[in-house]
Amino acid sequence: MTDASALHARRARWQKSRASLPWPEKIRIAEQLREDVAAMRRTRPQVQRSEKRRESR
Amino acid sequence: MRDVAVLLNAMRDAGVILDYALFGAAAQMRYTEPVATLDADVLIAVPAADRLDLLTPVYAFCAARGFEPDGEAIRVGRWPVQFVPVFSGLTREAVETADTADFDGVPFKVVRAGYLAVIALSVGRAKDFARILALLESDSVTPEDIRDLAARHGLLEAWNRFARRFLHD
Repeated sequence: MTDASALHARRARWQKSRASLPWPEKIRIAEQLREDVAAMRRTRPQVQRSEKRRESR
Repeated sequence: MRDVAVLLNAMRDAGVILDYALFGAAAQMRYTEPVATLDADVLIAVPAADRLDLLTPVYAFCAARGFEPDGEAIRVGRWPVQFVPVFSGLTREAVETADTADFDGVPFKVVRAGYLAVIALSVGRAKDFARILALLESDSVTPEDIRDLAARHGLLEAWNRFARRFLHD
């Protein structure tokens, strides 16, 4: 197993281990996730639809 | 979310609703790892299910406690709460058989894993299919559980399509 695949395997195990956290704790993580997602969306550059169409040509 | 539980229990105790149960992504997290979600979805059984303004008493109860509408939801602390009146035998049964979980010392009724999966199956968006797969992966429900419940509620063909697409090579 390469370093990279070992890292991915470890990361997947860690993610799965979060399923066993108490439910209220997972809800608090979700609350934080939502705020982080909202913050990222606020910093996303606004692209006009017409510009998107031009870009896709 | 604790405030949501307190509000729902008070609403039921006051007779504004007959019963409730949290469903959707927030309920799914009892069984799976945390997921990003925008709102809390709550199934409610209401006393006069045939009236047109089903949610008016619910909204009035919330407003009297300082919880105001936020789009199609009611903002309760950090959560927009969507109230969904039971709309089928499946959702009615989901409320009737819901678990009572403990949320920081407050009882909170939550739809069980099998019903979460079959409700997701009935909605059928990509994120609903992902929800079913996450529940299966968490071993909180088996394919057989879902198939039996789906069959009982007229969703066997939807389950077979899902199983062919996602569970078989």
